[in-house]
Amino acid sequence: MGVTGSAMKELNLAVIVKLEPDFSEGNVSYNADGTLNRAETKSILGPHSAIACSAAFYAKVKYGARISVGTMGPPIADAALAQAQQICDADELHLYSDRLFAGADTWATAETLRAGIAKMQGKMDIVFSGHRASDGETGQTGPQTALKLGYTFLGHVIDYEVDMDRRVVRAKRLITLQGFYDVIEEVEAPLPVFIAIDPSYKPSFNTVSQRLAYEKYQKEAKARVANYKQYLKVFNAQQLEVDPKMVGLPGSPTIVYKVEKIPKAKASRKTEVIDGSNRAELRRVAIKIHEVLGGMVIK
Amino acid sequence: MKYEHLYVVMEHEGGKPVPVSLEMLGEARRLMDGYNKRYNANEKVVAVVLGNNVRKLCEELVYYGADAVIYADSPEFEYSRNVVDTKVVSAIAVDKNLVLKFSPQSTDFVKPHYMFFAADNIGRQLSSTVVGTLDSGLASDINKLVIDDLEIKHEHKTKGQPVMYERTLEMYRPDFSGFLWTTILCLDNRNPAIQRDYHPQACSIIPGVFAPIARDASRKGVIVDYTPTFDPGDLQVKILSRKIVKSAVDFDSKKAVVSFGRGIKDSPEANIRLVTELAKELNAEVGVSLPMSKKPFPVSESVSSTYMIPDRVVGTSGRKVIPLLYIAAGISGAMHHLAGMKESEFVIAINPDEEANIKDESDIFIKGRMEDVIPVLIEELRSVKPAMEVRK
Repeated sequence: MGVTGSAMKELNLAVIVKLEPDFSEGNVSYNADGTLNRAETKSILGPHSAIACSAAFYAKVKYGARISVGTMGPPIADAALAQAQQICDADELHLYSDRLFAGADTWATAETLRAGIAKMQGKMDIVFSGHRASDGETGQTGPQTALKLGYTFLGHVIDYEVDMDRRVVRAKRLITLQGFYDVIEEVEAPLPVFIAIDPSYKPSFNTVSQRLAYEKYQKEAKARVANYKQYLKVFNAQQLEVDPKMVGLPGSPTIVYKVEKIPKAKASRKTEVIDGSNRAELRRVAIKIHEVLGGMVIK
Repeated sequence: MKYEHLYVVMEHEGGKPVPVSLEMLGEARRLMDGYNKRYNANEKVVAVVLGNNVRKLCEELVYYGADAVIYADSPEFEYSRNVVDTKVVSAIAVDKNLVLKFSPQSTDFVKPHYMFFAADNIGRQLSSTVVGTLDSGLASDINKLVIDDLEIKHEHKTKGQPVMYERTLEMYRPDFSGFLWTTILCLDNRNPAIQRDYHPQACSIIPGVFAPIARDASRKGVIVDYTPTFDPGDLQVKILSRKIVKSAVDFDSKKAVVSFGRGIKDSPEANIRLVTELAKELNAEVGVSLPMSKKPFPVSESVSSTYMIPDRVVGTSGRKVIPLLYIAAGISGAMHHLAGMKESEFVIAINPDEEANIKDESDIFIKGRMEDVIPVLIEELRSVKPAMEVRK
């Protein structure tokens, strides 16, 4: 492979991330009815966002890359950007923050992110996002941002390589075909692409030079995070040059009409309640289990 | 009418529909039958199929409730590619000439009234990009649908004024906890300052929720052939290989499943070991509730990467299991989870809280903490085993 020419220029990468409730024990708080207590729950960089950052860092180590990370959120979402920088040694951090963005559905969120990515330095070769947010769980914002950018969307990516000469990405995708089987599909696409990274993604660094680069950039990331505000740019709607009618609540096709507790389903079985501290009772359960598994119980 | 008919985007594997495709058609049929009666209308259920040699599938879709099937047949559709499929499905959705073949009165047609996709690995992303291309909104992971006339008063949509939105699709979505139901609406902006139409009203539908209608080979429908055009740039996206993989987690060949949930919290590591010991005793696969896959507890890396993973989630966000025996240890029974296990032959719950939802889905509810119950249960299973072998 030739090392000369414009084809070998380093990659320009963007990662879009989200500040999410921290579902880890000690930080998450649930109401008595099982719903999330948002006021008492801390927020962190979402776990899927963190995986997207490590996927971008992989390219930085392996091919050389400039990384920009963007998020839409309240001013405190800069904490998520700092956590992201720690993972991927980002060169640029973007926070899109404005009351006008609030209440956006996925389509209006995608508009803000599209405008934000356009403000990042250089044209992006790959944009990464997580698989979905842990709180919203729609998985729609990634593909819709890709659509607005006009980038090929690749979801469920578990592994990828870039052919720097040909400027194409080769990705492995893990797809569950309901009622059939899972497949791992290998797909090739010309840059630019948008990659939504699968939760099972794990980067591996095999060569000595990769491990050295990994350590170098990790060290650099640590130093950068100590001064992360130096890398941070905050944009409001006007600075992003978005049409206020296309973002936030006014730009959202959908609304939340109502939220209710899911009514308890009718009891579908006749339940026998057993005292768990009574050994004789548990012996009866043990016999029952053997009967069920031995095909001796016909209901 | 500008916005007419309910389009349902099908998924299939080599011409065989994935189950959710028929489930969506069933729900579409029920909804539109009710709708046409109520509004004295004649809107159709339209299945949309992309594939390679799928003409035969189209007939099947009529038998399962479609009034019309629009299909595009090409080797380019052998496997789904988001960028390719998005453009073709979007083009089909706005093509009036196709509509006139099954609904000659639809001369004002602009876009579908409603649109359904599968909330699975392919449909969730395809729905996002197709509905985006149609410049409308969608709700994901829906498990209940109602069409009704709704009076809406909304700061932006109606400028705070009450406005009647007729024939509006109410899309019910269980949130991540499984305890709250959010109803999403996709509404045109009637506020003059931001006037804009948002159709189709679209959603992705959770697999396994709705029942298909019974196959009826006497049902008649119109099958419409669509000739797609491709953007050569998009065809540079190539599927190089495709390998069928088996998950390390095997629910289907095991007679029993033992699952754990947030009830492990007092001593997570030790409790997971108890659960796995019980599973081993019963030759059972280990499942988890959805919150476990978010790794909420500090446990050793090996336990975390083996057990607290999405592959093991039982429920609408994971797998549906139908074992002979299902044991739910420390699982409260969010709707998500119940949907994934309630068809099990025999269900035992271990839980200190008698008010937990899981109780109503259990044949036996053992009231107690798992750390107290499971060790005794394992001892008893071992002690009664020889006698049970004899009975067999």
